[in-house]
Amino acid sequence: MRSKETFFWITISCGIVIMAFILIPLVEMMTAPSFAMLKETIKDKDVVRSIWLSIYTAGLAAIISFIFGTPLAYLLARTDFTGKRFVESIIDLPIVIPHPVVGIAILSIAGRNHWIGQIFSDLGIRIMGSVTGIVVVLTFVGLPFYVNAVKNGFESISPRLENVSRSLGASMFSTFFRITFPLAWRSMLIGIIMCSARAISEFGAVVIVAYHPMIAPVMIYERFEAYGLKYSQPVAVWLVSICLILFLALRILTLHNKKEA
Amino acid sequence: MKKKSICRWLPIIMPVLTLFMASLLACPQTGFAKEKLLTGEVIIFQAGSLTVPLAKMEKTFETKHPGVDIVREAAGSRKCARKISDLKKPCDIMASADFTVIDGMLIPEYANWNIRFATNRLVLCYTDKSRYANKINAGNWYKILTKKGVVWGHSDPNADPCGYRSVMVLQLAEKYYKKPGLYQKLINSRPKENIRPKSVELVALLQTGNMDYAWEYRSVAVQHELKFIELPDKINLGNYKYDNFYKQAVVTLTGKKPGITIKKKGKSCTYGVTLIKNAPNREAATAFLQYMLNPEGGLKILKEMGQPPFIPCRVPTAEMMAILPAGLQKLVEIKK
Repeated sequence: MRSKETFFWITISCGIVIMAFILIPLVEMMTAPSFAMLKETIKDKDVVRSIWLSIYTAGLAAIISFIFGTPLAYLLARTDFTGKRFVESIIDLPIVIPHPVVGIAILSIAGRNHWIGQIFSDLGIRIMGSVTGIVVVLTFVGLPFYVNAVKNGFESISPRLENVSRSLGASMFSTFFRITFPLAWRSMLIGIIMCSARAISEFGAVVIVAYHPMIAPVMIYERFEAYGLKYSQPVAVWLVSICLILFLALRILTLHNKKEA
Repeated sequence: MKKKSICRWLPIIMPVLTLFMASLLACPQTGFAKEKLLTGEVIIFQAGSLTVPLAKMEKTFETKHPGVDIVREAAGSRKCARKISDLKKPCDIMASADFTVIDGMLIPEYANWNIRFATNRLVLCYTDKSRYANKINAGNWYKILTKKGVVWGHSDPNADPCGYRSVMVLQLAEKYYKKPGLYQKLINSRPKENIRPKSVELVALLQTGNMDYAWEYRSVAVQHELKFIELPDKINLGNYKYDNFYKQAVVTLTGKKPGITIKKKGKSCTYGVTLIKNAPNREAATAFLQYMLNPEGGLKILKEMGQPPFIPCRVPTAEMMAILPAGLQKLVEIKK
């Protein structure tokens, strides 16, 4: 083996800088609370409830993105039409809009002063301060991540495979479910991970739409306000640890299958 | 030809040019000498309810002192204090909607003194589109709030003084109107979801029709051009003459750690301001305070915006007066 070039060492050192940049603050935060403190925190029903609420609202957002986002991603990957770029940039909009603005925007159509809010109100659906509201916000911010990941997935599958299926008489519907879907499910899983990861971390938009019921990031903020750093950190540690385990498990699942294939 | 002519004039042009350049350089310097040039950022942590008047003061002050950049962070007063005491965030001035927050959380470690500069009172805000907007008045508001379908809220008592004060008003109303059980009835008609961290956030909920009524400081109502119901002095927490009556309202708040609580007694709304001990830009911050507490400056703006100022501002003791920065002493009187 040849001795390493300078370029190699540059890549290594930049990598180390980035790892340190991400890890040092996080490790500092994760190790700050004592073990007793962590134990006490997880016994707190409010904390458990908020973490659970965070996880399942983020999960719901991912499922909604999966249902509505998959066909759209397929459309964008397979067809070319005028205004496609425009549609793509609209999908990216939730990424660039400041989070509180997202919350304000959603609230402004959810109120009775707007006809959509009026319809919701008549149907008895409440957005402000409700789980429905949280899921709406999380879907809004998570959707682009799902659509983009899955679109890339579809693009990497050759359309020729689909053409073969169609030429052998399969309908578009059955082609999608028997050919494309089995090949693209991994990118969908990645999309779901990305979408729910984004959703679980959302704070700014949610706190405007729903302060109560409290998702974990809002509770971390509230604890910080009411009791200070000491009591907000343990909640953060639990949230980060649980998410880490969840996402690691999902990644291992996908990686495992990749090797098999 | 031309070149030559320029060369000929050079001996004259050069000195003139040099003089001109020198005068350009010198001019601002003589300007500096007249008025001390203040520069840099002045960081102010402020109660949400002070946002609009402080924004106006900031503009006026920055026009006078172009070198200074006022940077404001609005949050509940207790959170502002936390940012200083727990997060050690650099901060020059802290302006609180409850002057006891400065006494309790910042003095003596992070601040030395506390100037009371304005008052406020609680009002019930609404818009044209609120349910029963054409029926509500100072006599029946508590009946309207408990009606089915009416959505009303207040800010989080644990995060915002306006929040616990709203709750106090409800408690005092029970006593004032002599209706036993009124407080509980009101609280029961307000689901937890209608609580927000800051009272100012409720304004957006009113304006978008997500909420019908919200408790706000009078100043906030005036600044956001909301309709509001003025309540009797005995329950609106605006008149310190009634502090003895206000005292009967007691709200339980979160203490230093979860599970531990403290009791907060009713008291008139009194705003406090302080200079943080290790203020990064003490000089400019003091200048801003001098402007803010001046009856012709900041206090005038406060008055215009529905927030009655103390003229002059107040400190409780002569000892506190003695440790104030020199420029501020003449703007303040000693009054308990």
